[in-house]
Amino acid sequence: MIKQYFIQAIGQLKQHPLISSINIMGTSLAIFLIMLVVMINNIGILSFSPESNRDRFLHGSCISIGNKDWGDDSMSSSNGPMSLKSINEIYKSLKTPECVTAYTIFPSTVVASIPGQNLVNLEMRETDAEYFKVFDYTFLDGKPYNKEEVESHIPLAVITESTARSIFGTSKGVIGKNMLINYSSCKVVGVVKNVSILAEKGFSEIWVPIGTISPTATYHDNSGIMGAFSATILAKDRDDFDDIRKEYNKRLDGYNKSLEPTGFHIIPRSRPYDQETENQVIGANLEPDVNKARKIEITIYVILLIVPAINLASMTHSRLRQRMIEVGVRRAFGSTHMQLLNQIIIENMIITLIAGIIGLILSLIFANTMASEFFQVKWNPSLTETQIDFSMLFQPKIFIYAILFCFVLNILSCGIPAWRASRSNIVNSLGGKIM
Amino acid sequence: MNKKLFKQIKNEWKPNLWLFIELFLVSVVMWYIVDYMYVKMTVYNEPKGFDISNCYLVELGQLTDKSDLYNPKDTNPSIHINELCDRLEHNPAIEAVGLGNNSYPYNGSNSSTFFKYDTIYAEGWILNRVITPGFIKVFRYTGINGETPEQLASKFEGNNLLVTNNIFKDKIKGGAKNIVGKKVIYGGDTVNTHYLAGALVPIKYSDFIEVSLTPSILKALAPKDRWMGLELCVRVRPEYDKDFANTLLKESQKRYNIGNMYISNVKSFDDIRANHISKDWNHFKLFIWGMGFLLLNIFLGLLGTFWFRTQQRRGEIALMKSFGGTNKSVYMRLLSEGIIILLLATIPAIIVDYNLAHADITENYNGETFEIVRFSFSLISSCILIALMMIIGISIPARKAMKIDPAVALHEE
Repeated sequence: MIKQYFIQAIGQLKQHPLISSINIMGTSLAIFLIMLVVMINNIGILSFSPESNRDRFLHGSCISIGNKDWGDDSMSSSNGPMSLKSINEIYKSLKTPECVTAYTIFPSTVVASIPGQNLVNLEMRETDAEYFKVFDYTFLDGKPYNKEEVESHIPLAVITESTARSIFGTSKGVIGKNMLINYSSCKVVGVVKNVSILAEKGFSEIWVPIGTISPTATYHDNSGIMGAFSATILAKDRDDFDDIRKEYNKRLDGYNKSLEPTGFHIIPRSRPYDQETENQVIGANLEPDVNKARKIEITIYVILLIVPAINLASMTHSRLRQRMIEVGVRRAFGSTHMQLLNQIIIENMIITLIAGIIGLILSLIFANTMASEFFQVKWNPSLTETQIDFSMLFQPKIFIYAILFCFVLNILSCGIPAWRASRSNIVNSLGGKIM
Repeated sequence: MNKKLFKQIKNEWKPNLWLFIELFLVSVVMWYIVDYMYVKMTVYNEPKGFDISNCYLVELGQLTDKSDLYNPKDTNPSIHINELCDRLEHNPAIEAVGLGNNSYPYNGSNSSTFFKYDTIYAEGWILNRVITPGFIKVFRYTGINGETPEQLASKFEGNNLLVTNNIFKDKIKGGAKNIVGKKVIYGGDTVNTHYLAGALVPIKYSDFIEVSLTPSILKALAPKDRWMGLELCVRVRPEYDKDFANTLLKESQKRYNIGNMYISNVKSFDDIRANHISKDWNHFKLFIWGMGFLLLNIFLGLLGTFWFRTQQRRGEIALMKSFGGTNKSVYMRLLSEGIIILLLATIPAIIVDYNLAHADITENYNGETFEIVRFSFSLISSCILIALMMIIGISIPARKAMKIDPAVALHEE
C-alpha cells in the first residue's frame, strides 16, 4: 500500500512540474530556514570536542558579591570572574562531581615566538591540570601537563597544530621544543587539534599552567574574592546535578561565614548553571532567563512554520480540487474516510520528506560555508573566525528536530484540505463538483 | 467591472481565505521586522561623536621571573608608562597618544558617576570616563560649539570637566553648553571644586545604542594615577596607517619595551568595534534573512494560487479577450484581485500592529514604542514590499493567461 502511495506521490509531482517545484521549494525553504535557526540556537548546547560533555557540565564562570556598606544587593553589586581562593573554597572542595577545573575566564592575547623570529599574537588560556579531564582535546602528539607540574609552576605549554605551524613551521616533532610566550621560555608538552571558537570554555591556541608566566593568579580584588578565573564542574551523571547544587550551597554558606569580617557576601544568582542556562547568560550581574529564551525560540519556530504551511495548504487545496473525481471513485468503491485521509497525508508526507531532506542538506551546507555569518560567540575580542565542521552539526538532535518539523509542517499544510476532501459527498465528488 | 471583481473574490472565498490569512500573518510579521530595522538603522545612523579611523589600542604586559629578560630590580614597571607615552609621541607615524580608564569607544564598561549643577541633577546613567588630554585628540571628540579636539584638550586639566551636551536632557534649555565655566559637583567629590570646561557633541556608547541614553563625563586623569593597567590608545597619521599594528609590535622589542613592561598586543579599533557590535549586527542580519524568507513565501504562495486560478479560468479569460479585453486588462484584473485581498488583510493587520506597538513588544526609541511617523513608515514599507512580491508572483501566471488564444480556449469549451 505504501508503495502505491509512493508511486502516486511521484506521479503527482510529474503531472504538474511547476506546482510541484513550487511545493518542494516552499517546503525545503521552510525546513532550510527553520533548521538554520535550530542550529544557531543549539550550537551553544550541542556537545562537540573539546566540550563533548556539555550535558554533564555545571558552570561557575563568575561570582557576584555585595557588601553591607554598598546598600541593597539589587542596586549595588560586583560581578565577575573569581580568585583561585574562591574557586578552591566553593568549587574545588566539592566531593560529588567527577572533576572540577579552574581556568582564566577568557583567553588573553600574548606575543609568542622562537628566539630570533618575528613575534606572533596568539590567544592563551591559563588552566589547572583537571582542565584536560573536563574538556576532551584531541591530542595529536604529547600529553597535557599534570597536577604536580601545575603546582610547581613549571613553564609548559599545550598548543594547537596551527600554533605549532605558525611558530615552528611544522606541527610534527615539536614536543620538548621551547618557545617564547610573553618573552618567557615554555616547553611544549602537547599538540592538540585546532579548537573552534564556538567551544567558548575550551577555545584557545595556547594553554599554560596557572600562574607560571603571567601574574594573573595574583590579581585580587574585593578581599580576594574576585579574580581572573572561572570554574566548570563535570558531573558523573546529569542526575547528580541536584546533589551537587546541595553540596555547593553548603560550601557557599561556609564561605559566606568566613567572609563576614570583611563585610562582603556572595549573591547566589542560582549558580552553577547547566550548559543551556550558561548559554543564555548576558551579563554576570543578571540571572539568565531560560524560559523567556525558550518562549522566543518557540514563537520564531511557529512563525517560520505557519506562514509556509498556509502557503502549502492553499496549494494542496487546489491540487485536491483537481482530484475530486478520483476521491469520489475511491469512496464509491468502499474506501473509508480514514483511509482517504491517511492516503492524502502519507502522499503529502513523502513530498514533505523529499523537500525536508533537500532543506536539511542546504542548511548544513550554508552553516558550513557561512559559519561566521551565522554562528557568533558573545565575546570574541581576537576576532577569531568561526570554524564549523560537519561533526558538530551531524547529531541525532538535529535530525530529530528536522523530522519533527517536517511532520508538523505536513500536518499543518495538508491536514485541513485532506480532511475536507475525505468528507466530501460522493455524488458531488464524482460529478467533479468542487469542495 | 469593479463590482464584478468583488463578486468573483467573494465567490472564490475559500481559496482566497488561505491567501487572506497568509497575507494577514505576513503583514504583521513584516511590519514588526521593518519596524525593528527602522529603529536600528535610525540609531545606527546617529552621529557618533567620535572618530576611530586610524586608531589603535596598545595592550601591555608584565614580565615574570620565568623570563630571561626579567629585571628583578624593576619591581614597579607601572612607572614606565609615562616614558612609553613619550616615546610613542616621538614616533613620526603617530599623531596623538592618550591614556584612559574604562574610557575608549566600544569598551563596554558601564562605570558611572553622578553630576550636578546648582540644584539640577543629571538623571540616569552617567558614564564616567577618566582620560588624559591626548585621549580627546585620539578620538577627536568635538565641542558642541565647534571647538576642535586640540582646543578642548588645552582646556582639559586639573579639576576641569567636559560633559556631553545632553547630560541634563531637557532640564537646561540648550544643554550643558549654557553652563560652561560654572562650578559643578562631580561624583562624591566634596573636597575639590570642579568647573565645566566645555560641552561636547554627544558621544555614543555603541553603534546600536541611542546616543541619548549614554551621556558622559570626561574627567582628567591625575598624573599620580597613571599606571600600566590603563588603556593606551594612539591615533596614526593616515599616510602611515599600513600594517601599523605589526610594525609597532615588531619595533616594540627594541624601542618600546621598558624594564619589565612590554607591548603584548596592538589592536585596531575597527576590530574592537567589529567585536563589540557583532551580536547586534548578527541579530540584524537574521531579521533580514527572516524578511527575505517571508517575502519569498508570499511570492511562491501567489505564484501557486494564481497558477491554478488562471488554469481554471481559461474559458473565462478567453471570453474576456474575445469581447475586446486587451492583454493589459487581463493582467490588471488578476493583479487587482491580489491587491484587493492584500488591502483587506492589511486592515486587521493594522489593528494587531497597533496593539503590538502599545504592548511594549517592539523596540524602544526615544523612550517610545509607538510613534505615528515610525508606525506609518513601517506599515507602508512592509505593505509595499509585500505588494512588490505579489506583482512578481502574479505576473508569471498572468503572462501565461495573456497568451491564451481565445479561439483555441473557447473551442475546447
